[in-house]
Amino acid sequence: MFKQFTENISGNQFYLLFSLSLFLVFFIVVTILLFKMKKDHVDSMSDMPLHDSLNDTLKSLQS
Amino acid sequence: MQPEKFYYDNKIVRNFGIATIVWGIIGMLVGLLVAIQLYKPAMNMGNQYTTFGRIRPLHTNAVIFAFVGNAIFMGVYYSLQRLLKARMFSDVLSKIHFWGWQLIIISAVITLPLGITTSHEYAELEWPIDIAITLIWVVFGINMFGTIFKRRERHLYVAIWFYIATFVTVAVLHIVNSFELPISFLKSYYLFAGVQDALVQWWYGHNAVAFFLTTPYLGMMYYFLPKMANRPIYSYKLSILHFWALIFIYIWAGPHHLLYTTLPGWAQSLGVVFSIMLIAPSWGGMINGLLTLRGAWDKVRDDVILKFMVVGLTAYGMATFEGPMLSLKQVNAIGHFTDWIIAHVHVGALGWNGFLTFAILYWLIPRIYRTELYSKKLASWHFWIGTLGILFYAIPMYWSGFTQGLMLKEFTQEGMLKYPNFLETTMRIIPMHVMRSIGGTLYLGGVIMMAYNLAKTMLKGSLVANEAAEAMPLAPNYTKAQDGFWHRTLERRPIQMLVLSLVVILIGTFVELMPTLTISSNIPTIASVKPYTPLELQGRDIYIREGCVGCHSQTVRPFRSETERYGEYSKAGEFVYDHPFLWGSKRTGPDLQREGGKYGNAWHYNHLMDPRLMSPGSIMPNYDWLITQKLDTSNTADKINAMRKLGVPYAPGYEKVANRDLNKQAQDIADNLAKDHIKVNSNKEIIAIIAYLQRLGTDIKANKTASN
Repeated sequence: MFKQFTENISGNQFYLLFSLSLFLVFFIVVTILLFKMKKDHVDSMSDMPLHDSLNDTLKSLQS
Repeated sequence: MQPEKFYYDNKIVRNFGIATIVWGIIGMLVGLLVAIQLYKPAMNMGNQYTTFGRIRPLHTNAVIFAFVGNAIFMGVYYSLQRLLKARMFSDVLSKIHFWGWQLIIISAVITLPLGITTSHEYAELEWPIDIAITLIWVVFGINMFGTIFKRRERHLYVAIWFYIATFVTVAVLHIVNSFELPISFLKSYYLFAGVQDALVQWWYGHNAVAFFLTTPYLGMMYYFLPKMANRPIYSYKLSILHFWALIFIYIWAGPHHLLYTTLPGWAQSLGVVFSIMLIAPSWGGMINGLLTLRGAWDKVRDDVILKFMVVGLTAYGMATFEGPMLSLKQVNAIGHFTDWIIAHVHVGALGWNGFLTFAILYWLIPRIYRTELYSKKLASWHFWIGTLGILFYAIPMYWSGFTQGLMLKEFTQEGMLKYPNFLETTMRIIPMHVMRSIGGTLYLGGVIMMAYNLAKTMLKGSLVANEAAEAMPLAPNYTKAQDGFWHRTLERRPIQMLVLSLVVILIGTFVELMPTLTISSNIPTIASVKPYTPLELQGRDIYIREGCVGCHSQTVRPFRSETERYGEYSKAGEFVYDHPFLWGSKRTGPDLQREGGKYGNAWHYNHLMDPRLMSPGSIMPNYDWLITQKLDTSNTADKINAMRKLGVPYAPGYEKVANRDLNKQAQDIADNLAKDHIKVNSNKEIIAIIAYLQRLGTDIKANKTASN
């Protein structure tokens, strides 16, 4: 299967390699940064849809 | 600081909800009609306005932009206000957005049956409507960002990133794929031709799936699923990772629609590699959705809304696994142009978009009407009948796709095509098409039940048009969090989020499109390829008007099974004057690229009048009005001028004498038909379309040498 890629891109490997490495760098950077994320922030963000009605707001104001 | 009191606008949500249901029923009804036409040609109803070629785009546009489009706006307007703790920025803009979008849909309902089309799939609407879409999209953008700016919640939840990426990418896609040169109020030619036009169209087409049918729905899933299950999303970190990976990768995958065509090989490879990579972020979203229900599976058994969500997410997982598999060249060789693709898109459309929409409607309508759903039992019936409908739709279409794809490739032991007559393969799959329409009927039946159930619910309750809410205003002087986490910063900066999303999607766009659009060596020219004659050009526009491209491709792939059946495989240089390209994406009938000279003029005349005269059992509609309608030659000069502006080398001043050449060629064809005892005036439309069909693919039959 991989042969078809290498055969078809003769002289144009640059595009493929450039694109793949670009994504790889992008992906690794996002992943590393994600590991540095704080848990309390993650929790508060995930809870956001559950605290958007008037009742939820009132509850949070009372607490 | 005192909490502020404000009101959510539920009326606009309700309006988009009703529009979703109404257009959904209409769009699916048209879908059912086109499905029946594929085995009962009489259902074309004997007039030009209801033939398959013209109303198939009406079906696709209605379900994508009217049904799904309105559902997106319903979901966005509901969730955006609540996630930002603010009413929509402007009620006037909301109204303009709503009515503007409905008017655009109505203009599509009028123009498409009239044959007013650009022929680009899912972008068929002509240039004035394109401008209207742009304006209304900008109104939506202003309204969304206006709301974001006046928010009472510092951080933007993941759903809103998906909405922002949707807004900016759809804007880019729509504008680039609408580069057209108008020649009259409702007719234009695309700026790019042939291979370039194909690349732009499928970059658009694929990403319309990505950024209209996928990202806004993922955003809605991230909001509504936690609400429905009453628990937070499984992994917020995963949502960040899969959001950025998804929008980065999706934009590159378009060329998998053009495998084995004359698109440069490197661009095809790029499309395949990125399509395979797409599995990861797509499944990231599906897994995040399904795992949100961890520990709540007992609820799924009782709650029909969650059932819809689970089947919808599963359909998303299936479609996003199948898509990359179909982009493998060996699989694509069999599946492309067949019903397999129809099955694939409908698993996504009926399962993912349809079921998520139904779940959101069932959840949202009772809430904004402060009542209970009229009948849970009816909703449960809808779920089962809808699920059965999807199965009865998809399974016959897979079967049909494999059957036809393999039959078309089969050789006898002597090395001859086993089924040299394309029609033989069509007739073999007719039972599957009958079953598919039964599946479609079941699915539509479910939607009608939902409409009844929701209408009863609305009558039972009363709309809370302005829902009271309270929230603390944002502190004017925000002190940055000490940890300075990058995404946390981004989550409170919508404009930076928009710019970053734009940059991410533009990277793929530029690397993929620019070489083919700017480097001429990517499109080798062929000396013997000449511009169309004026009559052929007019004939080509009739071919476009009738939507022939919906069933007939014009690109012969380099397989022995295709060169034996159709003739020499396609070369990029053959399409350099094709504004727009007409390669098509589905072969309900045979490829037409080498049609020129295959049959006599009389054969085409009789075949267009009644296809069953020449090909008994054919499912093609009659085109008898082409015999009676007079060809409009008043615009020939404008068309020649427009083509010249786009780079087609017509001699200076040729537009003045073009109609003279047109009449002469038309007379020759009429005289030729008269020899076969067919009396027809040379000024009829059928003469022009015969001229075009007889020209197809003949350039390189005369001279096969390429200059480059």
